[in-house]
Amino acid sequence: MTEEKNAPKEHSVLPRFAVLQLSGCAGCEVSLLNAHEWVEKFELTYMPLVSSAYDVPEVDILLISGGVRTDEDVYHLQSAVKKAQRVVAVGTCALSGGVANLGNRDEVRQLFLMEQHRRHVPRLLPKSRPVDDFVPIDLYLPGCPPTPELFMGALLDPQGYQASLTVCQECGRKKLKDMKPDHLLGFQKGAVDSEICLINQGYLCVGTSTRGGCRAPCTRAGHPCVGCRGPSNVLIEKGSQAWLDTIQRVFHSMTNVPEKELHDELLSPQLALFLFQFSDYDGGDRPPRPKEKVL
Amino acid sequence: MTTLTFPLSRIEGHAQVEIEVQQGKVLSTRFKATELRGFDIFVQGVPAEQMPVIVPRICGVCSTAHHVAAVKTLEDAFGVTPPPLASRIRSLLLLGQLLQNQATSLFIFTMPDRVGAESLFEMDEIDQDHAVRFQISRNALKVRELGTDLITLAGGQFIHPVRAVVGGVNAGIPAERAAAMLKRLEEGLPLACELFDTYWELTQRMKDRIGSWGDDSPAYYITSTGRVKPDYNSHEIRVMAPSGECCEIFSPRSFREILEFSQSDYSYATKTSYKGGVIRANSLARANMTAHMGTKVANGYLHRLRIEFGTPAHPIMLFDLGRGIELVYAIERAMQILEQPLEGEDTEVAYTPHDGDGYGMVEAPRGPLIHHYVIEKNKIAKAEFIIPTVHNMRAIERALQVVAERYIQKDQVDLELERAVGRVVRAFDPCIACATH
Repeated sequence: MTEEKNAPKEHSVLPRFAVLQLSGCAGCEVSLLNAHEWVEKFELTYMPLVSSAYDVPEVDILLISGGVRTDEDVYHLQSAVKKAQRVVAVGTCALSGGVANLGNRDEVRQLFLMEQHRRHVPRLLPKSRPVDDFVPIDLYLPGCPPTPELFMGALLDPQGYQASLTVCQECGRKKLKDMKPDHLLGFQKGAVDSEICLINQGYLCVGTSTRGGCRAPCTRAGHPCVGCRGPSNVLIEKGSQAWLDTIQRVFHSMTNVPEKELHDELLSPQLALFLFQFSDYDGGDRPPRPKEKVL
Repeated sequence: MTTLTFPLSRIEGHAQVEIEVQQGKVLSTRFKATELRGFDIFVQGVPAEQMPVIVPRICGVCSTAHHVAAVKTLEDAFGVTPPPLASRIRSLLLLGQLLQNQATSLFIFTMPDRVGAESLFEMDEIDQDHAVRFQISRNALKVRELGTDLITLAGGQFIHPVRAVVGGVNAGIPAERAAAMLKRLEEGLPLACELFDTYWELTQRMKDRIGSWGDDSPAYYITSTGRVKPDYNSHEIRVMAPSGECCEIFSPRSFREILEFSQSDYSYATKTSYKGGVIRANSLARANMTAHMGTKVANGYLHRLRIEFGTPAHPIMLFDLGRGIELVYAIERAMQILEQPLEGEDTEVAYTPHDGDGYGMVEAPRGPLIHHYVIEKNKIAKAEFIIPTVHNMRAIERALQVVAERYIQKDQVDLELERAVGRVVRAFDPCIACATH
């Protein structure tokens, strides 16, 4: 520890930031804690997970994680953005509801009514909603959760962040022309070869279309990419059908999996779980999110 | 009647405490969990084999515990037993989770209470002793990172790990990576001990200031860790009576016959009772219900705790000290596992998925975590998540009643109450994202 580092930080010069957590799992906050280089470069003014401060003060940067699930989430969100120069939506939940978006399916939505007998709790909204349904966002940081490196990129220099177009390009596994699986193994099935492309091994990996920047921790660890970072810049302003077509083309050229099997798997709920954010990206009732605003 | 509301911070998730007072008499203390995503509802209809990837998202702090519990639940349903190497790697994952969690709870959540700071990140800015405190916060983050790196090593990534699969794990751990981690843990152990010694001393000073270790009457305790030494990749649950006698041993499959669950209209979290009584899970339950730590340094700390407080011990702040013992244990035990080869054997066994009913359990940092899935046509027909924080709900409210009565008099409220509420809740280290899921 050097003398210089031991000197007290000068408040006035450090940019101030706050972290508002809506309905989520705190995984984004935990990831941010591992990006602790910010400790030297920013003043953290509000983040209830780690600090006893109960209101968002005026800040340079506001990070928002979690989806909008309750009336209280709406209130906190709308109050907080008024205090911020720059608003960053972090994590898949803030962008699209994340896995909790599965609760928006019609077949399970009714079950949430059973929770409505409670009186002294925040009311649930009919559906989980992304933050930009309510407030304007300056930067989107997708990922479930975004890696510590991505957090530092978003805080320090989003434009200068060096990333490949797709997860596939960051993965480093060898693609083999002559290794074509006849059937899909799904996502998880036993031992995985540590060197060879997961598609060659029959896994339903969507890293070929998923936005790069995470450095492919899942596929490197032998788990197919489930697309938590959303679509790459090529697909981001197009509809979910364009994404689906791209994946299908990849599997056509790299595997011998029958068309129907591929189609059924791609449209299965299990894929939809993680890939719903693609369909969300193309806008729905709101304009598409411009790729310049997505890290 | 007056209602005092205390927003909570430095815990996982959204919760608050409400205390109702009438003419100086405390009518009720409520611990309110104020969020809900509905995992048990929305996983209905999803493919069963996807659960190990979906359920870690219940909580970013406890994701590893849910990941391993989900895999064990499916293995129970499919009748699969993972090979020994896979169990060792899963144990390593759970130790990483323990190390990460106990470091977070000790240093990020509760250390600021001991030095009168709002957060660990401002501790280096306080003029008095600032150099010392700066060192504490930097070292605390370093020790915590050992836990997240251990999860990354064994689980692929540290927040929502991916490497436990039905039938085992998807790969072993290469010797050179294991050796590098081992070296870092060796270096980290003295640092962790030093931090815990400081923490214990500061806790003692806090006790001297407030005059109590956190009085509350004895309670039942619940854990699934080993009887002789700790085991977080656990299989049986035990309940200990307030007197210290073991009064119940059961498998996760029979949890509904043994434990009682109730709902309230002021919280999205359920509450557990045992024979109508208050029950406690988490570190103090384990400290009271395991004979030894099984590692040298941690065992020394457990011995010290028992000499000072007897066994079973009940004061609330001992939950915090129990976490420090486990912080040290997690490092020592992970070192033992990393000294053995973690590759070159089978990492998984083949299995055939089929419909059925499975129960899986781990001892999470907050206590026994049970998952239960009913699988029909390879999809989840029903899912239950029995969360350790839920077991502590009544214990938290009762402990809040004790501090409320201590600091609320007939004609005044001592503002120490605000700090006391935070201390009591944080001692139980509740996880609201898990409790409501």
